[in-house]
Amino acid sequence: MVFLPLGEALRTRGQIDVALRVALRGLERHPYDADAHDLLARIYVDRGETERALDEWDAAIRCTPGHAGALKGMGFVCFNQGRLVDAERYLAEAAAASPEDDGLGMALLRVRERIASENSAPPSANAHDATRPDEPPTVIHEAPQDAPTSNGAPTGNGAANANGAANANGATKSEARAESAFAEGDAHFGGSGDPRLLFADLIGVADQAALLLDEDGLVLAGQYVVSDGNDVGAEVGAALSGISDEARRAMRHLPLGDWRTIIFETPAATVVMTPAPQDGLVLVAAAPEVPSGLVRRALESVSQRAKRWMEQLS
Amino acid sequence: MSSSSPFIPSLEHLTRQRGVLGSLVVSETDGIVIDAVVQPSVKAPVVAALAASLYRRARQSAHAAGLGGVKYLELVADGGRLCMAGRDDLVVVLVTDTRVGVGLLRVELLRTAAELPE
Repeated sequence: MVFLPLGEALRTRGQIDVALRVALRGLERHPYDADAHDLLARIYVDRGETERALDEWDAAIRCTPGHAGALKGMGFVCFNQGRLVDAERYLAEAAAASPEDDGLGMALLRVRERIASENSAPPSANAHDATRPDEPPTVIHEAPQDAPTSNGAPTGNGAANANGAANANGATKSEARAESAFAEGDAHFGGSGDPRLLFADLIGVADQAALLLDEDGLVLAGQYVVSDGNDVGAEVGAALSGISDEARRAMRHLPLGDWRTIIFETPAATVVMTPAPQDGLVLVAAAPEVPSGLVRRALESVSQRAKRWMEQLS
Repeated sequence: MSSSSPFIPSLEHLTRQRGVLGSLVVSETDGIVIDAVVQPSVKAPVVAALAASLYRRARQSAHAAGLGGVKYLELVADGGRLCMAGRDDLVVVLVTDTRVGVGLLRVELLRTAAELPE
């Protein structure tokens, strides 16, 4: 499902509204997909709508019991809200479901330490009394470390404030949102000028991909993400660009004028393509269940965007 | 063309659709006309050769891209369309002008292709 990596990419780029639209449309088509609910929940966290986020994670768990992403998200939100016992429970379940996630293990350790610290600290203790010399100041996972700083609840007691070294270290990241813990590895999506995301807002409908190819079949912009999350745009572009050469050749011998669009349907996709400036090619692909009229319409807007982008480029 | 051809009724039906200038059954491998019902303005051998070549190229490209076989192919040009649907080595080709109702035609073409003898 293309909309999952697409929505995630948009979310991490900060295009929250577009990401929300992509996720909602994706969910319309896949209402029982736990990953889709998980994506929507993280978008809601970005928007500061934690109650809605919890609802979506709850839906994800109902779709797929033990869904690690949902449990992790609920754990972090609970931590953020100061509900340490709930946070510990969710994170423990998430860690059990996803034992390879080292970050989860560290977050869980951190929550348990915080619970133990709160339980053992006398109400009148001052900060120095509660300081534990074995507190690891730098190995704490970013989200649980920053989360209490952002809303102040867990750090408002003497025991938590006593973690001088740890909090001093965390304070440099105090602007980070608790949600950022989910965004490990997001850096590869690049900045706002990433040509791979040139058409992201135009093909917001689920299960679509768009590519701009040059005259040699090399990808200039766009991406073709398949269900495993890999971008196969280069392979698809190279293979399909030859069709336009064949069409051009055919049109020289038929009294039909220049070709404008090629549409073909396969068991895996509906593909539409049209010429782009400088002998390039614009291509939109969609899952077979996407109405073909919608795919053709998407090609028009993608083609216009590609034309403007190439004009700017040159 | 032989009037006893099993393709003729289907091709005649397709050619009666609004905007259709001709319909052909073509061998994808060698691009020759197997049967055709076309208006005089349509050069069936030329259309057959080019359509077969285009369909073959699309099928090979789609296969190389991991998309599977091509069921339906449509080439839209300024002056009309070429619509194709294939089964095994046979491809049904329609030549149309710009007035064609492509939705209905696509359905009819896919139905005709599905009924082609194996």
